[in-house]
Amino acid sequence: MTEKTAAPGSARAPGHTVASTLADDTRQVPPPLMEQSFEFLGDEDIPCSRYTSRAFADLETERLWGRSWQWACREEHLQDVGDNYVYNIGPYSIIVIRSEEDNIQAFINSCSHRGTKLLGGEGAGYSPQLTCPFHGWTWNIKGELESLPAKWDFPHASAETHGLHPVKTELWGGFVFFNLDPNAKPLADYMDVMPEHFSHFPLEQRRIRVHVQKILPANWKASQEAFMEAYHNFETHNAPNGANTQYDVFGKYVSRFIHNIGNYSPESLSDYPGDKWRDPPLTENELLQMLSIFGLDHDEVPAGETARSIAAEDLRRRIGKGLGVDLSAVSDCMMLDSIEYHLFPNMFFFPGITVPMVYRFRPNGDDVDSCIFDLMILEPLPEGAEHPEPPEPEKLSVEQSYTESEALSWLAPVYDEDTGNLDLQQQGFKTSRKPGITLGNYQESRIRRVHMTLDEFLQE
Amino acid sequence: MNEFLQVASLSDLPQGQTLCVEIDGREVLLCHTAEGVYAVDNLCSHADARLCDGKLKGQKILCPLHGAAFDVRDGSALTRPAITPIASHSVTVDDDAILVALTD
Repeated sequence: MTEKTAAPGSARAPGHTVASTLADDTRQVPPPLMEQSFEFLGDEDIPCSRYTSRAFADLETERLWGRSWQWACREEHLQDVGDNYVYNIGPYSIIVIRSEEDNIQAFINSCSHRGTKLLGGEGAGYSPQLTCPFHGWTWNIKGELESLPAKWDFPHASAETHGLHPVKTELWGGFVFFNLDPNAKPLADYMDVMPEHFSHFPLEQRRIRVHVQKILPANWKASQEAFMEAYHNFETHNAPNGANTQYDVFGKYVSRFIHNIGNYSPESLSDYPGDKWRDPPLTENELLQMLSIFGLDHDEVPAGETARSIAAEDLRRRIGKGLGVDLSAVSDCMMLDSIEYHLFPNMFFFPGITVPMVYRFRPNGDDVDSCIFDLMILEPLPEGAEHPEPPEPEKLSVEQSYTESEALSWLAPVYDEDTGNLDLQQQGFKTSRKPGITLGNYQESRIRRVHMTLDEFLQE
Repeated sequence: MNEFLQVASLSDLPQGQTLCVEIDGREVLLCHTAEGVYAVDNLCSHADARLCDGKLKGQKILCPLHGAAFDVRDGSALTRPAITPIASHSVTVDDDAILVALTD
């Protein structure tokens, strides 16, 4: 085996690469997608207890969720002054509010009198002021104490002492980010290449088409890690492409994969069991057939075209017309590929057009063994168009299937497959006699990067 | 159920808007959502705030006082501090006419 003599992390699947596919694109590929960034990060096992231990989860609550930048909602959730959004993470709850036409603020969701949450539940709401349901203390939407019944009994409470506790916020890409640490450094310090890269594909200019929120039966890290590699495609999705996926780690906080859709390398499967998709390899027409789930005009590849080029062309026309957006200059890569950026600790952003998702994974209350997975489809908006009111999240329980969400269409069975192993994995962590999990040096490097950065947060 | 009475014109109630009308001395809130026109009682079941001073978001009407949400399609209370549903009334739309029959 040649891998043993090569430097760890330097081996790759045989066959063509993402870079070579992008070089053959029919359009200009955005420069950030041509960048590559990888270094070997080590090969030690990751302890299973990080996914199962109460003590570890408690440390995360205090030192990770209490100190890291996370997005709470989209700006389009807060269109009018007084619109608010309650967001919960572990034990913490915040109220994000549009306090002025051009200002968004956030506050800890707790009364400064006796602690009661001012707003229950989670999600979008509206209130021209905030009134505690317990004794009726009232704040304006800038968090200033306006009134309290029986003021005579509280000479020690005033606007100066009993305003709502402010939470740091920043806006990026149409998302409202917050950080519970009053001393947190700016968001940009935690975004590595993302501001530069996403200047090429602005997420501000998108709308939420679909929002599905599902409880998954595994720790938040195990759950997000099921989405950080395409190594599982062969076994989990019974799909031929994945082995040639490109993985990039841009720094402590940002990583990416680019997973080409509509082509694959038969050679990349050379040490996979059996001859499936290798001998004989799939034809271009068979590959196009696999892409028909996107809704294509062609069912055969015309002479001089590839499955990839013709599918991209059909989608430019079809999606562009549907959205009222000109996609004629958009690359095959942006049209088709699964391009997935991960922002530490728990956020995923896909700049692609046909695969335009946003993911967020967070603990489900204080349960170590389950998490909340927010899945959004962010559709491009025509230039100058106003953001429509976003949809309410469709909520799915652990037992429910993604196929119960009609809006997910062809994606639903894929997500059922992606999440179908999580229960087994979470249980497996607990019965394992091997103290840790083992990661591939390249294909699973993004997972290791998250654990390394997590350690920095936990040890600080 | 009571008889249907014409209470407003559809042209006075664009989608996304609400309109407070009085029927037999009772304030009823008409809500025009993407799914159609619905009618619920105008008073929040928690502290009697007038919901017409709140905001319609999707299928929810939000109370201006504590932000309690009710589903305008059936009056159910969705978030605290409201626990009790508000009455929901039958609506039909006949051309431009909005007709409401009080449920009780």
